[in-house]
Amino acid sequence: MAEPVVSVQGLVKRYGETTAVDGVSFEAQKGEIFSLLGPNGAGKTSTVEIIECVRRPTAGSARVLGYSVSEPDGEIEIKRRIGMLPQEFNALGRLTVEETLEFFAGMYDAPADLMGLLDLLEIREKAKVRFADLSAGQKRRVGIAAALVNDPELLVLDEPTTVLDPEMRRVTWKVIQGLHARGKSIVFTTRYADEAEQLADRIAILVKGKTVALDTPSQLVQSYGAGRTMVFTNGGEGVFGTLRRFFDTVSMEGSSVVVPFGDMRDIQVALTALIERGLHADMALRSAGLEEVYLKLAGSGMSESGETE
Amino acid sequence: MRAIVVFKAITRNWLRSRSGLFLSLLFPVIFILLFGSSSSQADYYLPGLITAAIMVTGIIGLTNNVIEFKSTGLTKRLSATPLTKLEWILGNILSQTVFAVALAAVMMILGIGLYRTPVTINLYMVLILLAGVTLSSGIGITLAGLVRDPEVASGLGYAIAFPMTFVSGTFWSVSTMPDFFQAAARVLPLTYFSEGLRDSMLGGDAHAALLNLGATVAFAAAFIAIGVKVTHWRED
Repeated sequence: MAEPVVSVQGLVKRYGETTAVDGVSFEAQKGEIFSLLGPNGAGKTSTVEIIECVRRPTAGSARVLGYSVSEPDGEIEIKRRIGMLPQEFNALGRLTVEETLEFFAGMYDAPADLMGLLDLLEIREKAKVRFADLSAGQKRRVGIAAALVNDPELLVLDEPTTVLDPEMRRVTWKVIQGLHARGKSIVFTTRYADEAEQLADRIAILVKGKTVALDTPSQLVQSYGAGRTMVFTNGGEGVFGTLRRFFDTVSMEGSSVVVPFGDMRDIQVALTALIERGLHADMALRSAGLEEVYLKLAGSGMSESGETE
Repeated sequence: MRAIVVFKAITRNWLRSRSGLFLSLLFPVIFILLFGSSSSQADYYLPGLITAAIMVTGIIGLTNNVIEFKSTGLTKRLSATPLTKLEWILGNILSQTVFAVALAAVMMILGIGLYRTPVTINLYMVLILLAGVTLSSGIGITLAGLVRDPEVASGLGYAIAFPMTFVSGTFWSVSTMPDFFQAAARVLPLTYFSEGLRDSMLGGDAHAALLNLGATVAFAAAFIAIGVKVTHWRED
């Protein structure tokens, strides 16, 4: 098996008394989109900043494209061969988009075709516009273009769609999928389960600096999901009372009655019980998604915010 | 070379700031007009005003610039590229040099044009000007490396630059000051830069100019070394 593009083993990062990353381990393979999913304070940014060689680990090891982030020679090689998008991308405000890309490209020996990048990110018409005059979404796309100026083997994107509106999020997803189709290996962090599910081949869920789950999206749902549920709406209180006699796990979600089930015969039992009592309700079947898994695993970590990552 | 890329970007960005340009040039113009009310005074003040302008813009301007890069995350973004800490610092010094040379040129033109100050342009003058710019950049880089908060750094920059300007014989001769200030002036780098520029610009003592050049270069080298040491390129 080929060497992974990123191999992190027992990584620890402490800031004074605070442990931001607490023994995280994972491997991202060549050509894979790998996501670190977690709430604020989960240690995602600290982890990717160690991978990018902008922050030193307290303990553990991280190897990127076969090089150790802790060795000077490795650091030089890693920086030459990866591209990164920080959580907040900024550039000199009075430089144009084209000049901004030239600036970042000037840091590398063999820069990519900059106009091609502007086309790829669909911002060519903004080439002569100053960075300060761009919208948040356009700045984000310039940030991604800047991450590509050295035609990197590995792209590390830290929350690529945070602060973007839903439409721009989907445009960015398309860009990431396009880069993946071109053979780029991608590691990205996100706090959005739908984004991880949509883009990633494999996902590591981080909570309070620890990896609580790591697998493909479908395996995560299968391993940690609550299975399938029947959802009854517009049925009134009678529906809840009736179904509770047959199912211990029945619960209310707002005005809906939710019944987890494992067997198709459970549906028949529920419907028969309601019909016999002359109760009417709209029914839908819902499969558990990554969102539920994420909420379940992230648990209390979701309510925290503003922690140092 | 990456330092040149940094220099070009910073300089281009600065040149496009009309308000910044105007205010940067306004300070020396006001000083020249205030202090140079007669020809004889202007002769004495011009070199001092040039050193003061270079020192203040170097310490405050460069500190603010570097801290702005840091606080906007641009330094971190650049540190993830092959750009080294030395190249980054060199790019900043080069940009500051261009600005300082332009500043000195404007002030000399005003001095010569308004007050007929007999300025001699020679190799010593050019060398000490460059050493002085490097010195002010070194102090600015050191300050930016030591302080994270932009407001604290800015306040500290003023607290260092202005008193040093007054104690270092920029506006009056060190020999006319009280003993305590004379002793303080001897350990301040600006004193040597100021006296060296005066000696070289106004056709003074060549030997003294050389000694002052040596002292300014030594201070500049020391501050650049400290600045490199305290600048954190990769965060712990």
